[in-house]
Amino acid sequence: MSIILDENTRVVIQGITGSEGAFHTRQMAEYGTRVVAGVTPGRGGQRLDNIPIFNTVKDAVKNTGAKASAIFVPPPFATDAIMEAIEAGIEIVVCLTEGIPTLDMIAVKQYMKGKHTKLIGPNTPGIISPGKCKIGVMAGYIHKEGRVGITSRSGTLTYEVVDQLTRRGIGQSTCVGIGGDPIIGLTFLDILQLFEKDNETDAVVIIGEIGGRAEEEAAEYFQKHMTKPVVAFIAGITAPPGRRMGHAGAIISSGTGDARTKIKTLEEAGIVVVKNPAEIANTVASVLHIH
Amino acid sequence: MRLHEYEALDIFEQNRIPVPRRGVAGTMHEALHVAGEIGYPVMLKAQVLVGGRGLAGGIKVASTPDELKDVADALLSSEIKGLPVRKILVCEKAEIAKELYVGITVDGYSGTPVIVVSTEGGVLIEETAKTSPEKIAAIHIDPSFGYYPYQARTILRMLGLKQQLIAAWTDVIGQLYHVALRYEVIIAEINPLAVLPNGGLLAVDAVLEVDDSALSRIRFPLPDRVDRIENLLERRGREIGVTYVDLDGDIGLISSGAGLGMASMDIIGEKMKPANFLETGGGITADLLYRCMELVMMKPDLRAIFINVYGGINPIHEGAKGVARYIKEHNVKIPIVAKALGNHQEETWEIFRAAGVHVVTEAATEKAIERLYKLVGRG
Repeated sequence: MSIILDENTRVVIQGITGSEGAFHTRQMAEYGTRVVAGVTPGRGGQRLDNIPIFNTVKDAVKNTGAKASAIFVPPPFATDAIMEAIEAGIEIVVCLTEGIPTLDMIAVKQYMKGKHTKLIGPNTPGIISPGKCKIGVMAGYIHKEGRVGITSRSGTLTYEVVDQLTRRGIGQSTCVGIGGDPIIGLTFLDILQLFEKDNETDAVVIIGEIGGRAEEEAAEYFQKHMTKPVVAFIAGITAPPGRRMGHAGAIISSGTGDARTKIKTLEEAGIVVVKNPAEIANTVASVLHIH
Repeated sequence: MRLHEYEALDIFEQNRIPVPRRGVAGTMHEALHVAGEIGYPVMLKAQVLVGGRGLAGGIKVASTPDELKDVADALLSSEIKGLPVRKILVCEKAEIAKELYVGITVDGYSGTPVIVVSTEGGVLIEETAKTSPEKIAAIHIDPSFGYYPYQARTILRMLGLKQQLIAAWTDVIGQLYHVALRYEVIIAEINPLAVLPNGGLLAVDAVLEVDDSALSRIRFPLPDRVDRIENLLERRGREIGVTYVDLDGDIGLISSGAGLGMASMDIIGEKMKPANFLETGGGITADLLYRCMELVMMKPDLRAIFINVYGGINPIHEGAKGVARYIKEHNVKIPIVAKALGNHQEETWEIFRAAGVHVVTEAATEKAIERLYKLVGRG
């Protein structure tokens, strides 16, 4: 089954005519994603390759039945694009944009209350259900269909872990980058709930970072409700306190959200925490009794 | 972007938050002049963008002009946690009857602003949060509704305060919330908010950190962002558009992605010491990596460099060309180990190898760092 995306997911690309939008549209289509439409205001009626472009998301949905959207729109216009997608009834919005002001995301979160849209990101590499559908900028070929779910706050580190699992012969059901910003849509907690319910996922890998409370919330859920094994890695154990290490989310201050506190919380909840990302594949193999 | 205390106090004053009489001084003579206008005793506070300033000796009192000369000279020639003190804030030394706390930040989980207040302000506020949580209260603000004074009044009443203090404090909270919105801050804090003997309030310290992603659209004057980075290497990093954090080791690091960079730093840290953290972000070009090499090599006594990049959105083969060009032009002798995976990896390896870089083709960062460890002669 995989979570969130499957082979039937129909995708619209917002910002399809921009250089990144166009490049990754082609990459996604090549991977097998059903990219059914693009949106760029004022470019309705044109096409990118064979993909029809519309002026509004509403038109795209009406004409193509798109259910998911990928947003490749610069930060000043990105929240407008998210709102438009939600309003048009898009069920899954993946926002790749990096650098959206926090105040704008407060408004988005507010707007989303009571709505059923799933927002992934912003500032995410995206989401992929290997062999079925990819909405994002990750290299598709390193993934392999399988039964391990992955969720992460970090893009490049996820690739390393996926690559490792694939080489070990362990495939993935779905890999979700939740994004590195302070305010995001789906969190580790939401993703764990989805993986717990998914009958094609046997175990989950969490790749966390210093800062925030997402890992702690995941630990609490795991302890109370989860039956599947979870393996976690937290980056940033040697990060000096009070310094920004690249992600807006990856700040440690005041002794909360630091790597050691997070590791302790996760371990106490019963999650297997690896100290070194190189151990993830073998640890997953051992919790799943794969030899 | 974190503002200096004197910059934040100016913004507070413009927004009717009571602040001390004060002035900024870059020399002992300026400090003497400001103190003469305010009247003794005065506080002298080092203006450096680092936490724990008071405990590091950055806050002093002067009761006479002679004393001030000594203290100001000493502060202005000192460093606080590695940062040179270029300016000091000279301000009135208020008589403080009680110290309160008020802070505003964004709760990432609920996606709403949150106002935190405590009747026990001061340097031990974090201890108080752990030991006496009942002395701290939080008000979550519904963004579509906004902040209304009754929310603060209700909470302060519950903390058992008297009417006069509740009224004054509510006013300060409202103004601080206003500042937080206008300047799009991710942290606004007054600690301590001093209660004076006459019952009035005074913002004795001020913290404002503006959301970097919002800087270009804030309509109020703000100081230059690059200018204020004291560390030359970190400033250079900002100029070329990468995140660079100066550390005290001798192994240089260039990585794409914060997570991969932090993991690399952690693994290096097990047996060696990283000289820096450097994260390129998603815009790798040959020129950018050339500049990254230049930046990392600025650090003296470097023993080796570790490059850890992934070719997802980034054209890493382009980046490799920049590294190779730097090595050739500068005849780099220290060992460089590169792990490069993803799109265009074979091409990237070829370019690196031709430039004399030790290429590790395995996926595990750990393997690459083992190689590095052997090369620097400690393993």
